[in-house]
Amino acid sequence: MARVSLALGIWLAVTAVAHGAKPYAGPAACATCHPAQAQSQPKSGMGKAIELPPEQENLKAHPKLAFEKNGYSYTIERKGEQSIYTVRDAAGELSLPIRYAFGVHMQTFVFQYKVRFYESMVSYYPKLSALAITLGDEQLRPRNLVEAMGRETSNREITVCFDCHGTGGVTEGRVTLESLKPGVTCEHCHAGAAEHMSNVSNMSNKTQGKVAALPAKLGEMGAEDMSAYCGQCHRTWEFIVRAREWGEVNVRFAPYRLANSKCFLGADKRIRCSACHDPHASLAHDEAGYDRVCLSCHALQPQKPCPVSKKDCVSCHMPKVTLSDGHAVFTDHQIRIVRPGDAYPN
Amino acid sequence: MRGAGKGLVWLLGCLVIVVPACRAATFEEIARQAAAARDADHVPEAIDLYRQALQLKPDWPEGWFYLGTLFYDSDRYAEAQPAFAQFVNLADKPAGWAFLGLCEFETGGYAQAHEHLQKALDGGLAPEIEGVVRFHQALLLTRLGLFDQALHWYQAIVRSGIHDPTLMAGLGLNSLDKPMLPKEAPPDQREFIDSVGRTVFTWLSGDRKTEADFHTLMATYPNAPGIHNLYATYLLGTHPEDAMPELRSELEVNPGSVEARAMLALLLLQDGHPDDAAAYAKKAAADQPSCPLAQYAYGLILADSHEAAEHLEIAERLDPFNFEYHVALAHAYSRLGRNDDARRERKASIQLARENDPRGAR
Repeated sequence: MARVSLALGIWLAVTAVAHGAKPYAGPAACATCHPAQAQSQPKSGMGKAIELPPEQENLKAHPKLAFEKNGYSYTIERKGEQSIYTVRDAAGELSLPIRYAFGVHMQTFVFQYKVRFYESMVSYYPKLSALAITLGDEQLRPRNLVEAMGRETSNREITVCFDCHGTGGVTEGRVTLESLKPGVTCEHCHAGAAEHMSNVSNMSNKTQGKVAALPAKLGEMGAEDMSAYCGQCHRTWEFIVRAREWGEVNVRFAPYRLANSKCFLGADKRIRCSACHDPHASLAHDEAGYDRVCLSCHALQPQKPCPVSKKDCVSCHMPKVTLSDGHAVFTDHQIRIVRPGDAYPN
Repeated sequence: MRGAGKGLVWLLGCLVIVVPACRAATFEEIARQAAAARDADHVPEAIDLYRQALQLKPDWPEGWFYLGTLFYDSDRYAEAQPAFAQFVNLADKPAGWAFLGLCEFETGGYAQAHEHLQKALDGGLAPEIEGVVRFHQALLLTRLGLFDQALHWYQAIVRSGIHDPTLMAGLGLNSLDKPMLPKEAPPDQREFIDSVGRTVFTWLSGDRKTEADFHTLMATYPNAPGIHNLYATYLLGTHPEDAMPELRSELEVNPGSVEARAMLALLLLQDGHPDDAAAYAKKAAADQPSCPLAQYAYGLILADSHEAAEHLEIAERLDPFNFEYHVALAHAYSRLGRNDDARRERKASIQLARENDPRGAR
């Protein structure tokens, strides 16, 4: 029966991200030959994608955070090496330790209640230096303290969370917190490093000038392949279309937005993710710094020159979009000519 | 279901016909008498009068339309067909193409019926007749072996809440890849086909008892060709890990199943066995080049992007409404640097995703 459109889509949509199938060598091993990357990457956003309780910097800097919404009051208080998340209503209160802080700037918290994992109803927003409702949960109306604490995650969802924000936290499709290394480390992207290390250590191979078992060469990827690769966590164009994430909320998913850009050239390296973003370094906020990437194509003939400016391209062509009552601002990666009054291209 | 179309004939006549000024008094008188006979349900008399009027004024579209509908309502499809053909020659109206196609369907001109019903749907029809035309189109597409395309129409029909025995038979035939009309089904297979149709109807309706219905179906017809393949397809959305054994079972009872082979290829690819997957997909595409799923599977598996795009293009041509094929083509074109083609396929994918959004059109 040819029912691919019925079932295959569902199957493809729920296919989990597959990381970490091979044994890990660890960042220290990689650092022996790649010291620059090993030094900068742990400080990058991806390197700090999960914080464990002793290292939760935002919560340490704000030892008492409070927020109220929908008849519930929320507090996060620092007590020693951990932060305690408490929700109160007229009938009582519920307190639990925060196990994980997900994200770098905006942070959402994960806690466990009766074995299950929950995503906190409130998140920390650096723009406010305070708590507010977690992005995407604005419409939820909790009916009791447990629901007010947060949203229970499915097994699949929490697996994807740990798989993308950490390294080694998922083994054969299951959450394995005992082997979780917080943040994205080398082998999250460069799978097979242990085998590579073992091979490099083999003198006979060295002398023969052969280094077999190299991790996949991400540097060879064009824009389409790199979007698919990075999109495993940042969401691919295909994922967003399947999930039908229409509207401004999809501004969060850069590979989707970028692929919809007129200047997205799938076989070209000049428009791939790493053309702008060094995955081993922190995100650059200097808008002018991105000009060189735009000009790598647009400085060439017969490209039509921009009539407005020759610098700060992204300030016009990649506008900021504000979500969540103004607490969260994202750069729209759908590169385009933005005209006043234009609707959000979707 | 066809009866529902008949009831609309008079209404549609009012909607689509623009009565031209009549030039001869005799013609006007006969036309008036024809309309009166038609209103009085004096069908033979009305037919005779319309024929007379049309002899006097052969370029009278309204006359051809009503003559056609009088024949159609009398189940005289072979006579209705040329009347509607005359009508669409004079007035290119979707309702005319719809009735012409329905007549061709009844007289066995299936390829032409498919073409003309599609023309009617493309032109836009009143909702009352659109459902009838869609249903006939779904039956025709199945009859023509275009099972995937037929499924898109069946999905819309099921969503519209129609529940009809012919629909169950049609769904059953389509689900089992049997290129025939319900009336052509062998009598000894009709109960089986209807059972499959009812189960698929439950599935498409999103009914919770789908799983139980499938268990009953599998227990009743464990060795029927196509049944394991159908169940495997259902399992992909619910228990994907159980789909592969069902596909292997299908190949045991039905070794020639191209669909099972193609699906197995996709599952093997997903499981990290590209070489095994390629062998299954290659054979599926070779055994039945007209199977879009086989072309799609082979296109996904091929390492050579140009060749991959060629197979995906075939799949898309065979089933242009399939979201998966457009998505795969968008990726393939993008990798090849065919950016305009990739952009077109992305737009088509988004459009299909919006049209099939279970939360409603966005």
